[in-house]
Formats: sequence, structure tokens, C-alpha cells
Amino acid sequence: MRLENVVVVTKREYLQRVRSKGFWVGTLILPVFVLAVTLLPSLLIAKSETRQSIVVVDETGKVAGPFAARANARAGQAPAAGKQREMQATFDVKVEPPAADRQAQRADLDRRLLRKEIDAWVWIDPGVFADKPVEYHARSVSNVFTQESLRDDLSWVVRRVRLEQAGIDPERAEELTRSVRLDTRRVSEKGSRAEGGAAGIFFPLGLFMMLYVSMLLWGQQVMNGVLEEKGSRVIEVVISAVTAFELMMGKLVGICLVGLTQLGIWLGTVAVLTAPGIVASLALMPKGSALPTLTAPVLIHFILLFILGFFAFATIYAAIGASFNNLQEAQQAASVAAVFIVTPVLVMWPILNDSTSRMATILSLIPLFTPLLMPLRIVIEMPPAWQIALAYLLTIGFVVTMVWFCSKIYRVGILMYGKKPTFKEIWKWTRYA
Amino acid sequence: MTPILELRNVRKAYGDFVAVADVSMAVPPGSIYGLLGPNGAGKTTTIRMIMNITPQDSGEIEVFGHPRTSEDLQRIGYLPEERGLYRRMTVIDQLVFLAEIHGLKKAKILPDIERWLERVDLAPWAKKKVEELSKGMQQKVQLIGTVLHQPELLILDEPFSGLDPLNQELFRELLQEYRAQGKSVVLSTHGMELAERLCDHICLISHGRAVLDGNLKEIKRRIGGNSYRVVAKGDLEKLKELPEVEQAAINDGVVKLLLRPDASGPETLRRMVAFLDVHEFRSEEPELEQIFLKAVRDAA
Repeated sequence: MRLENVVVVTKREYLQRVRSKGFWVGTLILPVFVLAVTLLPSLLIAKSETRQSIVVVDETGKVAGPFAARANARAGQAPAAGKQREMQATFDVKVEPPAADRQAQRADLDRRLLRKEIDAWVWIDPGVFADKPVEYHARSVSNVFTQESLRDDLSWVVRRVRLEQAGIDPERAEELTRSVRLDTRRVSEKGSRAEGGAAGIFFPLGLFMMLYVSMLLWGQQVMNGVLEEKGSRVIEVVISAVTAFELMMGKLVGICLVGLTQLGIWLGTVAVLTAPGIVASLALMPKGSALPTLTAPVLIHFILLFILGFFAFATIYAAIGASFNNLQEAQQAASVAAVFIVTPVLVMWPILNDSTSRMATILSLIPLFTPLLMPLRIVIEMPPAWQIALAYLLTIGFVVTMVWFCSKIYRVGILMYGKKPTFKEIWKWTRYA
Repeated sequence: MTPILELRNVRKAYGDFVAVADVSMAVPPGSIYGLLGPNGAGKTTTIRMIMNITPQDSGEIEVFGHPRTSEDLQRIGYLPEERGLYRRMTVIDQLVFLAEIHGLKKAKILPDIERWLERVDLAPWAKKKVEELSKGMQQKVQLIGTVLHQPELLILDEPFSGLDPLNQELFRELLQEYRAQGKSVVLSTHGMELAERLCDHICLISHGRAVLDGNLKEIKRRIGGNSYRVVAKGDLEKLKELPEVEQAAINDGVVKLLLRPDASGPETLRRMVAFLDVHEFRSEEPELEQIFLKAVRDAA
């Protein structure tokens, strides 16, 4: 292998991509997209304050009054400053007494409901203090958040009545049954500090997603690049001057550098955003807690494992690209390759919950999963050195094997045109001299 | 003189299919060497073996007087039959890349690229992407890319196929320049007429075998010593029945006649006048087509 040839190819692959508009649009849009997907739904639900006018018919005569008072009082209130707004619906409550003819009253309420004079009606049976459910009639019953609020408010009232009936002072009971709050602190070699529970999950998760997206995206770019060279037939001129292996390595290194450039931009953004003061000033964080920050060892492992992961996956993609004539043909094989990248996502949650479990340890040592799962563990809690060393060793061995194996397919495949090869035929290529 | 390129008993088979059974050839410096044969004869496989794109199963290939190395390959300009460029690269980036993979430095090659683009009227398109160019312009870029690194040997697979007439002329001009500089060109073609006009040396390939190899003029003299042009009236088809006649190509009252090497022209003329009204009978150079057909038949 002549290094200068690899460098020439690397330079082309890198500059062509980094100079393109698509790269910058993708680099800027993806974080926005990820943020939108993760944060927007909750923001939207929180913002969409539903206001429902409901009619309450109370056969007990004890629930409707306090319920209306509680609901109407809250409707006029702004949420407490600094406190995260909960997803609560507000109700315009109108209490109506039960009529002599219950059937006629129910029919009438249904009619008003359908004429959209009211949004819902609620029937409280006398047995509510035992175990009878409260009936909720509405045009749509998929409004789970609204129902949740309604259930909470009604429960609150019913509970108080039950307590009173049992001779217990409801105020006192409420005071005594308050939940305990958790004050989470992350302990590391540098001492302990308070970290927000949610941030504790979002930070490793964000880094994990970043790695995942980069590997998938740029791995597929390798495949597309090979397909393009093959499709435009430029491959034959290039392959007459540089060897297939030089071309493949140049392509892998070039696109890997593009991925690192993108990761660098993203990590830079993360570093700035998580710097003390910035997020706090955005008032997103609870007082007195801090975000986890990127430390140098985490960053180094992150980059090294990205490179290893990229090479493990991208060589597979290079071989796939070389084997087929166009994107349609390659798609099937590519989706098989994607399974290896997607699997770590499936086992990610148990690891997030306990990064030191035996399952987490074993999974993170499997070469195909190491590049995604090891950084996740590292960012949550630095695993023992022997585990990290073993993971690197195994993954490097795996990557070298993959490069060796896939370059055989690549070399034969890039000059094969015509009918779509079967997996059996591709396997045969690896045994050509 | 050491040949600039030499193949000795080169063979390539794909499973049971033998693409090239046995090809030997020697390309002298300063010559245009034609690799001739019908489609499927093994020309492209031979060329790909020369370029080390497909490794040969057996036989030797020597370039510039020694066994071929990868550095040697960078000193060759190669135009494959299936051509293509990076569609989304600009003309100039493309040419710089092609020069760089042949071991040249960007700074050194830029003035050359500009000169070339001027020469073929592509200067205003230098910064355009290849996909924005017309097909004829793309062909020009491809041609420049092939010769930009001033290779000592050009290897062209069916160079004229698909070229528009203007680019054919440009290419022909280029090849003559190359020969004038003492460099060599190997080109494959199935067009005998074109080869006849352009080539000094030829190698005829049929069913994966080189059936004839050498200087075109010598070959013509050797094989075509007994070639005649006949203009006559009567049943010309009868000529084919004469035992000394190897080939008789009849076209509108004109016959291109190829006799056995040991046959005598005047003798044949005497027999001919018995059944034909002969207007003209003269010795002439045989056409490549005739030589090819004869060589294939002799080899069989």
C-alpha cells in the first residue's frame, strides 16, 4: 500500500463532502431535529392547555362542590414560577343536581354534548366512596392527559371525604403523607456534585445518539460513494492508478474524517451549552444542580471508539456498495448491516439504568456493540480499566479482520457489472486470489 | 530495441470460461499498436491484465523493460472502454485528482490543466460540475485526464467508440503527437478500417489467442504478396471455385482476390479469362480485413 495514494483519495473524499452544502445543512439541522423530536412533544402537550366545560351530576352531594371549587380556583392561577409546568387540564365546572328522571337527564346531557354546548359530563354515583367508578362521557375519550387531571382532582376530593368519614382530619393526613423528594448527586473521583436527574439521562443519551447517527449516516455514505464510483464507471480509471485496497482505505479514512468533523462541531456545541452558567441562565435546570460536562478522558474514548465503530461498519458498507450495481439492489444487504447498528439501541435502556450490570459489561465487550455501548458506559460511570482495554483489543482485532475480509469482496465487486449477485457468489469472491 | 510493453503467453480464465487463452505481443517504442479482433475476442481482458486490474492466471507482463510494478502503472495513461467521471466534481478538481492519483502534485499540474482546457475550448467550464457539461465536453475532460500526467505509454480500450466526430479528430491528432514524441500507444478496436489508417503495429486476437503480431507493412508484404484487384464481367462467383483462391470479396463488379502464397498471379489470370471478361487485373496491398480473416482461418 502506498500511503501517498491513500492520502490523495482521502483528500478527495473529505473535501468533496465538507465543501458541499449538504454537509453543513445536515450538521446544523440534525441537532435541531433531535431536539425537536425529543423536546417538542412534551412542550406541545404542556402548552396546549385544554379548557373543558363539563357538567357534573353528583348523587352524593359531597363531591361536586369541593371539586368545582378546586378546579375553578386552579383555572385562574398561573403555574408557580420555576416549577415545571405539569400537564394539567383546566375545567369549567357546572354542577347540576340529579333530576327525578335519571334516564331523561342522561339523554339530555348526551344531546347537549353532541350539540357541543358542553365538552363532557360526569356522573358521580353514591357508591363512589366504596368502589364505584365515576362515569365520564365525552365525544372523545383519547384525551388521556385531561382524564388524568380529572381523575386526580376527583380522587383528591373523594379521599378527603373518606378520611372525614373515618374521623381523620384531611389536612393533617395530607401533611403526613407527603412524598419524599430525591436530591440526586453524582459521585466521581473529582468529588460529588448535584446533577439533575433528567440531565443525568439526557447527557449520555445525547452522546449515544450522536455516535449512533454518525456511524449510520457516514457508513451509508461510504456505500453510496462506492456505488457512485461504480455506477459512473469512473472506478476503472481510478483503479488503474491506485490499488483497490488503497482506494478503499482512502475512502474510509476520508469519510471517517468527515464524520469526526461533524462530531467535533456537535461536541463543541455540547461543550459550550453544558458549560456552567449557560444552561442555568436558560432557566432549564433546577436550582442548585449542574449538568454533567465532557471530560478529556470521556472525549478521547468517544473519538477513538467512533473511529473503530466507523471502520467496523463502514467496511461492511464498502463491501456491500461494491457488490451491487445500484442503491435499490444494495438496500437489502444494507438493512442487514444496519441491524448491527440498531441492536445497541435496543439494549441501551437497561444499560442506562445500570451501567455496571453483568449484561452491560458483556454486551459492551462484543466488538460489534463496543463502539456504541462502551462510550455509553464510560459517560455514565468509568468502567474498570481492564474492561476498557479488553474492549479496545477485541474491537481492533475485529476491525482488522473486517477490513481484510471486506477488501476482498470490494476488490472483486467494484469491477463486476451486470446481474445482481447472490450472497453465495459474493462469498465466492472472497476466495479469489 | 526493448519493447515498451511485452506480454508472454498470458492467460486468463473465469471458471470454465477462457477469456484469454494465450496472448503474446511486443509493443515497440514510438509506435501506435492496434489490438484487433471482434467483440468478445479477449481485447478488454488483455488490456485489464496489462493494467493489473484483473490479474493474469499465468504468463508474464513486462512494462518499460522490466516486470510491471505499481509505479509503472502510474506512468501509463489508461482509457477504459467503460468511461466515467465523478459527476459532482468540478472539471478542474476532477483533473487535479486524476493527475494526483498518477503521482503528480497539484501546484505543478495546474498550468498544464489550464493549457489543456484552453486548447479544447473548455476554459470557461473549468469550475462547473461535470454533470453540467454536455456529453461531448465530458469526453474532452476524459481525454485530458488520460494524457495529463504525460504518460510514456497510452493504453486505450476502444477509444473511438461513442466519441463525437470532433472529439475523434482531436483524439487522432493527439495520438499522432504522441507518436511524434517517441511515445507508444496501444489501442484496441474492432474497426479494421480505423486501425489500418492509424496503426504501425497490430496484434490480431481471435477467441482469446493472438493469431498474428507484427509491423503492419511487413505483415501486408508477407501475407499480401498475392493480393489482386480484379474488375471483370461475368459470373464472378466462379472465382471462388478456383483452387488457388483463398478469398474473393466481390463488390459491384470489383473483386479483391487473395491467392495462396505459392500460387502465381499470371496463371490465375489465364484461367480467369476462360470464363470472365477481365477489364483490369493488378497487384495491390491486401486490406486488414482480408488479412484478419485469413489469419483466423489459418489459426483454426
